Amino acid sequence: MGTTFWKTGALAVAAGLFLASAVTAQKVSFKDPTGDDNGPGTYTYPTDAVYKRGSFDLTALDVEAKGGKVTFDVTVNSPLEDPWGMKGGFAVQMIFIFIDTGAGGFTDTVPGLNVKFDEANAWDKLVILSPQPPGRVKDEISQKVSADRAGAILVPSRTKGAGRTISGTVELEGDPSQWGYQVVVQSNEGFPADKDLLTRKVNEYEGQHRFGGGTDSDCDPHAIDVLAGSGTGDASEVQAQHDMLKYECNPDGSTKTGAVLKMVRKS
Amino acid sequence: MRFSRGFAICLLAFAAALAPMAAFAADGQTMIITGEDYTKWLWGNQRYDGSLYNFTTVPGEGYGDNGQGTEINFLVASRPSKYVEVTARIQSRFSQNQWTNFGGFGGRNPALENPPAGDCTGGDCGEFDPRSNEYIKMRGLTARFTPGYKWVDAVTIGSTDLGMFDAFTIGKIRYIDRDNAKAVLFQGALADRKLGYDLIRVSLPRLWAGPNFNTGDYTAADGAYGLQLKLAPAQAFDVVGIAERVRDIEVDSRDQDYDNGRDVRTRFKNDVYGVKIGVHPSSMFDIRAAAYFSSAKSEPIAGAPANFFAISGFSPVPAGELDDETYKANVDVNDPFGVGLSFNVEYFNIGAKYVSMLAARREVDVLLTEGRDGTFAFPGPDNSAFGVFPGNASRIGFGGWQGNAQQVATINVDNEFTDFDEPLAETVIGWKGITIAPTWTIGNLDLSGEYTMVDYNTNWQAWDDPSQPISSTIYPNMDSDAGFRSFRNAYAPFQDRDTDIMVLKAKYLLDVGKGVDLFGKLKWIDETDKRMNDASFLPYLAGDCPGGGQACANNQRFYSPGNSTSSIYGNPGLVTVGNVTGYQWKPFDSLSDDDRDMSYQLIQLGAGYQLTDNLYSSLTVEHYDVDLVDGNTAFQAYQLHTMASGDTTKDKVILFARYTLGGAEFGFNYEYNWGTFDPDFGGGFVPTLADAQTAKDFGVPVGSPGFRGRFGGWNSLIERDFKQQRLKAFMKVRF
Repeated sequence: MGTTFWKTGALAVAAGLFLASAVTAQKVSFKDPTGDDNGPGTYTYPTDAVYKRGSFDLTALDVEAKGGKVTFDVTVNSPLEDPWGMKGGFAVQMIFIFIDTGAGGFTDTVPGLNVKFDEANAWDKLVILSPQPPGRVKDEISQKVSADRAGAILVPSRTKGAGRTISGTVELEGDPSQWGYQVVVQSNEGFPADKDLLTRKVNEYEGQHRFGGGTDSDCDPHAIDVLAGSGTGDASEVQAQHDMLKYECNPDGSTKTGAVLKMVRKS
Repeated sequence: MRFSRGFAICLLAFAAALAPMAAFAADGQTMIITGEDYTKWLWGNQRYDGSLYNFTTVPGEGYGDNGQGTEINFLVASRPSKYVEVTARIQSRFSQNQWTNFGGFGGRNPALENPPAGDCTGGDCGEFDPRSNEYIKMRGLTARFTPGYKWVDAVTIGSTDLGMFDAFTIGKIRYIDRDNAKAVLFQGALADRKLGYDLIRVSLPRLWAGPNFNTGDYTAADGAYGLQLKLAPAQAFDVVGIAERVRDIEVDSRDQDYDNGRDVRTRFKNDVYGVKIGVHPSSMFDIRAAAYFSSAKSEPIAGAPANFFAISGFSPVPAGELDDETYKANVDVNDPFGVGLSFNVEYFNIGAKYVSMLAARREVDVLLTEGRDGTFAFPGPDNSAFGVFPGNASRIGFGGWQGNAQQVATINVDNEFTDFDEPLAETVIGWKGITIAPTWTIGNLDLSGEYTMVDYNTNWQAWDDPSQPISSTIYPNMDSDAGFRSFRNAYAPFQDRDTDIMVLKAKYLLDVGKGVDLFGKLKWIDETDKRMNDASFLPYLAGDCPGGGQACANNQRFYSPGNSTSSIYGNPGLVTVGNVTGYQWKPFDSLSDDDRDMSYQLIQLGAGYQLTDNLYSSLTVEHYDVDLVDGNTAFQAYQLHTMASGDTTKDKVILFARYTLGGAEFGFNYEYNWGTFDPDFGGGFVPTLADAQTAKDFGVPVGSPGFRGRFGGWNSLIERDFKQQRLKAFMKVRF
């Protein structure tokens, strides 16, 4: 009796561990090289002291699915701080995670980023990790993003920053290891320009609260760091990022050739 | 509140962010005007209605915990050409603009009063006081030029919060607004853009930026000059050099020859040089170090003090000529074991005589440690300053400020015009020590903590100069170091102090519904201060007060020729209560009479929940338990402050809510505080009993025990129970 109990118990534990490992197998991770928080290669941080070195330098994306929910952990190369008292453990960052879950999707992104995807890398879902209250983010989305794309945007109920990692969980079905990803690191702007989705501008010259090294028009991508290449953190991905974020402006400030992003995949 | 603070900080960014929208509209210039309605509702059971701020120390200003008021803030941005952009803020101010003013009409006119009826407060001067007549004022105006020259990226002329510099030298400055400072700023990059620079000339604020919180009579030419050079030769290394030069000049009254202009003299000068180095070998390690050297000199002209009298000096800078260094080094080790465990280690050494007149005064945190908590901000158990005298009741109240303090590297600390939900700033002048702060993330559980050991460069005897009288010092002793201490005091006549701080914090996201935030904190502070530690400084000779109802002989002890501490620790007289005759307070005849030993504990628990996408709420419970020995009646808190020796318990319940609706945000913060102070002032004296006037002045029962100190202040010996409720609600609507 006792032996049977222990054998059954051991089998149950083993089965549980197997199932658990099967569940936790739905994880995917990407790395990004440090020191490439300069967009297409020229961008500089705003000059205010709250924008600490490495604050917008993406180093990792970790995705884990469990029980119909997917958690996204985005890590930057600086301890997170909350100088503006946003209460979520971080303040200056704003993270956009584009996901390609299957065929079709959108090539336009959201206002304020000034980037697109090519057809082969169209996105289906966008997760926004913002220190702003979710209601504020959703209000901005409803006002500034077309209805079809707005319906594909997910905002976690709680977004937190701890250590160097910003995390949020959304309800999303599927196997994240089969999806393609792109992460755009931007800065939380509580008072965005008229059409921008809580994003901070990139100008020709950096200002106290503006990135520099771009243009004063919106023909430049307002993306400070993105995933590139195979997402392994290899040094070659710096150049891949710069190539992806290349842009050219017309004399009137309109876009001649804009930045086109690609997804990064495990397979 | 912190959220609203963050919201407000972004106003400046907003003004800056607006301009680019019109970037390519130079031919058809666009002016963008936006605004904000900020409405605040304060309620509290202190029943003060002097102003719509909870706290100020500025003479003549009001403060209060009751009232409703509205501010309007217009933000204007335009770009006349590709090279120029202009941003401006036009704003009204809460101050005494209560809704009950009904538009600010009428009121008493102080200009016609004879005799004067005193300061306007609570809006009683109506339209005759700008603080209550709903006036609108230019708050910030900035022109920024980007001419496209190789040697300069941008020239900014006008308002700035100085946030591009460094908290130890020229720091982000807020007074009422964040852009009160006016400056000319050149920014650019040289050497193939590897060497960035910021060159600035700031007009010195006459309101506070000099000895005795002013810049003398001739102010228009006073300025601070700053140069910051930023070099990043490689990704793994960067270095910043900073130089600051402050000059407060006066017209030289000795120059009587007006035909060739007027000579000037320097009233106050302050030079600071700093270097910051960063080494970033990998994402796992980050090393930063900073060193500063400061020199300052006050000339005793036009109100610059030559020294301060004993223990009551007030000034943002010590007197005389002084120089000192400040050092700081940080090592961050990010997740070395791959388990989410990281470490931050900080060494700090802030010179006792380190002076930078434009160092950040608040809203920055120069040290890693939490430091003290805002709920204990002033010496007395009820947060009163000088509460031992009638008419000096606590302003902020028993509850103090929420959260832990932020540390600033100046005694020029500014907590003016704050509400209870904002962070307190405290000085760290003289602090030296180390902080170790691990963080550990395990799934939904975030653990963090710190251990900080603080020694002090201000540990000295007789103001560090025993050749001088104890009543003459170059150091201002603002609010003193007695009791729970003051946020802006760094100096004491006698100090032998060390502090240990330990914090353990946890946050857990409980996966229920939208996720429940559970959080808690344990904090311990252990502090000892022997203060006077050499018997040669005792005020009187041994056996001077024999006891047994006999008067003291008053035979002074001199620690140096002609100098005795009897000038601040005078002997008691005899009192007779009932049939007992003895000393009015204990004679200062032992080195232990002024000893300090504090054991401080905080337990915090709370939970928060995102009730809807637009509504977040949290409930926090805090329990403070402080056992404090802060000298006995011989020390009597420098006879200026309510003695805090004894056991203090404080409980705090905070209900917080935040609601967003389109362009509007609403905040709600309710706090209930209750607690007890059980005094223990030691023995060696005969307690006296409160007479009718004492009872009236201090709200104690007639006949209750206490003692009157050297300056006539009253310390009660009865247990005090405190209850404070307060509420702050606000609305911000962007339009």
